[in-house]
Amino acid sequence: MNTSLPEALKPSKDPFSEEALTHLDAMYGVACKLTRNPTDAEDLVQDAFVKAMRARDQFHAGTNLKAWLFRILTNTFINKYRRGGLERSVLDGPDADPLADGWVSASTMRQLRDPEMLALMPIVEGEIQVALDALPAEFRLAVILCDVEEFSYEEIAQIMGCPIGTVMSRLHRGRKLLQRALYNHALALGIVKGEEHVGERSDAPHESKTANLAEYRARKRGAA
Amino acid sequence: MTMHDCRDRARMLGSYLDGELEAAKLLEIDEHVGECETCREETQLLRAMRGSLKRVVRTAAPAGLRDRIGVAMTAERVREDARTDASLAREATEAEALGAKAPLVSLSSWRTMVPLATAAALALMWGAATRSTQGASTEASAGFGDDLLAELVAEHSSPLPLEAKDPDAVRGLERYVGVPLHPSSFERPGLNARLVGARVVPLHAQRAAMLQYVVGTGDDMRRVSVIVYDAQKIQIGTANLAPRAVGTAEVRVGREKGYSVAATQRAGVGYLVAGDLDPDRSAQLAAMVYDDR
Repeated sequence: MNTSLPEALKPSKDPFSEEALTHLDAMYGVACKLTRNPTDAEDLVQDAFVKAMRARDQFHAGTNLKAWLFRILTNTFINKYRRGGLERSVLDGPDADPLADGWVSASTMRQLRDPEMLALMPIVEGEIQVALDALPAEFRLAVILCDVEEFSYEEIAQIMGCPIGTVMSRLHRGRKLLQRALYNHALALGIVKGEEHVGERSDAPHESKTANLAEYRARKRGAA
Repeated sequence: MTMHDCRDRARMLGSYLDGELEAAKLLEIDEHVGECETCREETQLLRAMRGSLKRVVRTAAPAGLRDRIGVAMTAERVREDARTDASLAREATEAEALGAKAPLVSLSSWRTMVPLATAAALALMWGAATRSTQGASTEASAGFGDDLLAELVAEHSSPLPLEAKDPDAVRGLERYVGVPLHPSSFERPGLNARLVGARVVPLHAQRAAMLQYVVGTGDDMRRVSVIVYDAQKIQIGTANLAPRAVGTAEVRVGREKGYSVAATQRAGVGYLVAGDLDPDRSAQLAAMVYDDR
């Protein structure tokens, strides 16, 4: 009965879905991190691909299909799981706690990473999963799109529907929060020794932190 | 160089690593990183985090997801094509029957649903055929489930008296069967399905709910039973039923004791439609459990 099927009905004969599905693993990996649940991730990815199929006429050939698919994935996630938007958690979440730009000493940082590989120490790496899941969704997404999927800032801005400046601050804050979580984990495990003034590298005036935060929020509201 | 300069530059280390700095800044930071141990370490740590993030986040999609999505995408495309055809056909019908009464429109909309379901079903059958080898062995082992299917169809063919008639009373049966009941699922334009009532059906040590409907109008009225059960506790053998896609729903369709049956699952709840409808309409009804959630 296979042979009697019209060519057009065979899934493999559709170039759009074929090309789109080359990004399935990437979409699924990110969906898992967005939903934090493999079953929801499967549903989310399927919804996104079906929507992409429905909207395929709006895709301009020659532009970045992967970025376009991720934009659909992000919008689907926001509409389905985060009705009310992504904004509130930024203002109520860890952002409310002033986060210094500084960090610990060079030797402590050295102890966190694996000298053999471009990766963290295995014991610290185990914690990155937890630290990532604990990030507010928009920080988590920005970090993953940049560090894992290697999208440009401009592409991330399109995917997340925000200005490039917002992408940069989400990335910066997301990475800082990850670093802090990993440092605290390493500290708890006794891998590194506690340092005084954690989170501060220099004697730079404190007011700059608060000023940066206020500025960040103002930008954030301006963007919203 | 003051500490403050270093601080400012440290903020740019991320953009530096991301390759998002303009040439002049890039050279400046590059030089600074060469001189400043802290910034160099921070750069290394950021690189290490990136490497670890890649390892943690990158996951292969589970086996079967690719096929499932491929089929859903094809079904979407086929449905669009069919919709275009159908709307052309409907325009023609409506032009012919200019001035005719409303029911004609609802009838024609139901009529267009069947070819849509058929087209989508073809797409899934192709998808299913490509992986039938894995599926067959697991389903063949569900031997006693086939008897359950026959038993449930027998409940349809010689039903026991109804225990609940109106939708609220039907929902009241939920606590006996442990699964949500949506007696009004089929109340939609063009379908002409009316709830008759429901009862609890004992199944060995378990219970299922049987909802009875009448579908159609005038001379073409058919009795249809929808059996709703906890799919974790009750496994109905569907090895003899052919898989189909109706929209994004996966439905298994076939015949049992002369009745047309269609089975599907959604969120751990099993649905079995039994009646003397044609298989396409049974499949369409079963697929409706995927809607309105």
